[in-house]
Amino acid sequence: MYKDKNYFEGLFCGVKSICIGLKTTMREFFTKKITEQYPENRKELKMFDRFRGSLVMPHNEKNEHKCVACGICQMQCPNDTINVVSEMVEVDGKKKKQLVRYEYNLGSCMFCMLCVTACPHKAITFDQSFENAVFDRSKLIKVLNKPGSKVEEKPVVKKTAPAPAAKPAETPAEAPKPEAVAPKTAEEQPRIEAVAAKTEVEQPKPEAVAAPKEETTKVEQPETEKAAE
Amino acid sequence: MFDFSVISQWLHTLLLSFLPEWATILVESVIVALVIITLYAVFAIVLIYMERKICGFFQCRLGPNRVGKWGLLQVFADVFKMLQKEIIKMRQTDRFLHDLAPFFVVTASMVTFACLPWNKGGHMIDFNIGIFFILAVSSVSVVGILLAGWGSNSKYPIIGAMRSGAQIISYELSIGLTMLTVICLTGTMQISEIVQQQSELGWNIFRGHLPMVIAFIIYLIAGNAECNRGPFDLPEAESELTAGYHTEYSGMHFGYFYLAEYLNLFISAGIATTVFLGGWAPLHISGLDGFNGVMDAVPGIVWFLGKTFFVVFLLMWERWTLPRLRIDNILTLEWKYLMPISMLNLVLMALLVAYGLYF
Amino acid sequence: MDSFNIMFIVLAVIIASCSVLTVVSRSIMRSATYLFFTLLGTAGLYFLMGYTFLGAVQVMVYAGGIIVLYVFAILLTRGTQDKLSENTKNKIVMSALLSLVGLGIFVYIILKQNFMELLSQPGNLALTAPDESVMTMSQIGQNMLSSAEGGYILPFEAVSVLLLACIVGSLLIARKR
Repeated sequence: MYKDKNYFEGLFCGVKSICIGLKTTMREFFTKKITEQYPENRKELKMFDRFRGSLVMPHNEKNEHKCVACGICQMQCPNDTINVVSEMVEVDGKKKKQLVRYEYNLGSCMFCMLCVTACPHKAITFDQSFENAVFDRSKLIKVLNKPGSKVEEKPVVKKTAPAPAAKPAETPAEAPKPEAVAPKTAEEQPRIEAVAAKTEVEQPKPEAVAAPKEETTKVEQPETEKAAE
Repeated sequence: MFDFSVISQWLHTLLLSFLPEWATILVESVIVALVIITLYAVFAIVLIYMERKICGFFQCRLGPNRVGKWGLLQVFADVFKMLQKEIIKMRQTDRFLHDLAPFFVVTASMVTFACLPWNKGGHMIDFNIGIFFILAVSSVSVVGILLAGWGSNSKYPIIGAMRSGAQIISYELSIGLTMLTVICLTGTMQISEIVQQQSELGWNIFRGHLPMVIAFIIYLIAGNAECNRGPFDLPEAESELTAGYHTEYSGMHFGYFYLAEYLNLFISAGIATTVFLGGWAPLHISGLDGFNGVMDAVPGIVWFLGKTFFVVFLLMWERWTLPRLRIDNILTLEWKYLMPISMLNLVLMALLVAYGLYF
Repeated sequence: MDSFNIMFIVLAVIIASCSVLTVVSRSIMRSATYLFFTLLGTAGLYFLMGYTFLGAVQVMVYAGGIIVLYVFAILLTRGTQDKLSENTKNKIVMSALLSLVGLGIFVYIILKQNFMELLSQPGNLALTAPDESVMTMSQIGQNMLSSAEGGYILPFEAVSVLLLACIVGSLLIARKR
């Protein structure tokens, strides 16, 4: 009963709002129910896209991932869930860090997604798997990079292709794309699929910007190198 | 229309043929009591299942669907669980009153339950003061609730019991006034006669048109409040009082409160059916003889149960739509809105009856 | 010995024992509960005699009204002294005297009514179940509001004035100043 209304106005207002409420619930009564019958519909059950099941590292068909072992994800993680094991290798006379093992402990992950948002290369993401139960706690520690995988070779781009910020990353048909990025499209395909509806993810940065960044991160990560040793 | 009193008469003469009169009455009383208790349990199970399903549907869920086909055995499983649970004996409580309280509540609701007219001639208690008797007996359950609150010697139950007492006593006024409105139209209090009249002259809600519709709506609201349900469930508001007056109960003692709550819902709906919707009287539309003949072929108990469960559905709809009210809002609703409206309604009804403006 | 007598004895035992328990019980809440049983037993007697209206009023007013009022009052004023104090000698003597006086009055009245003589006369069995419709609801209503001889319109209205005065008085007390 509203204080600012007089008696009859309040009465009819109340009756009207009750009728609106009753109408709403009656509509709900006849709508299709959204309950998922889990073990029966296991085959076709699909989690919604923003569900955070467990951390994965998408690999393309050539068994290549995008992780450059910079260790930002490890630093970002509040729970020490991620452990990036890397080693230094000499490539073309240049010392370069390479990923050996990407250890991820599902048991202590709290699915905050800080690692995914922090990753400069979009190398990791959350998938929609939800059947994460195992019989032993040690099985929760997963190695995300597949055996024998290596970091994805980037086409060397010297001139910065001014990729517009508003470029839709999701559309696979990227026909009117600057030529510098164009050859990469095929490789990018699987990754895009994995991140498809993650709209909050930033647009992929032009590779020319990312390349020098890799150098800087190398300097910034003495810890990871120690861990690798 | 099938008259159930044929069967009861036959049973009576059969028993009289080989038993003395007092033994006959005793045997009949025992049979009736057993029938009441069995029906009580069966309807409790049906209602609990119905409530859980309907609640689920209103919330866009499916409700219980694992135990048995469509979850039909779920309630049986719950009942068996409750039956084998331990009844906890607590220190520093008044054991006698604590154990007595559920029986008050359940007895009051059973006696009221026995007053419902199931079929033509199929009523168990039929005084000439029928409706008044129902109102009187249902007020006994307040004592049970207050004793449960006091006997538990705990804070939540006592708060719940006080709230419940204030609420039930207040809403009894509205129920009494709506019943007076009905009696004003029917001119009798005997339940069998009220229903008989409606089967001949048409349902009360059609006969008394406007004031009867208002009375029906007020009765639905007040009846929900009497059962401590719906938006008026703050005596057992689980988010603030854990379970209100039956917080400290376990096992079947809790089960009695639970049963009584659901059966009170059924009884409210049953009384609404009896006095407004014609009890076991079939739907008749004057002029359509073929239609009326078809309607007469349906047995009275089907009519009664169908209408009652329709009203139960209305009450559940109300319950799962509206949020819980605060105690002062509840009392405001009763004393400032429902009671004056039902008083005016009574006057209106009296005028209509005095000038013969009803069907 | 028919069913009527059996029921009468059962009810009488309930009433008598619960009355005694009401008095001797040490917890005030239990006293109220026993009193409730006593009142219900009385209502049962009314039903047994066929005065269904009176019985229902008994249940409604005493069980639904008075006892709930008692319990409310107890709940609202509940303190450490909800148990009776110990009996002193003076108290015992006084209460014994009072109950003896009460018993004497009742026995005198009962004996004066000559129930036994009435019972001993043949064809005048006082202990038989009367018809249920000994006093129908409509008869009571007619008498209550009739101004003819034997009508109760004046006391009825007097009681309603009394109730009105009670409501006004309680409003006056409860009014915010």
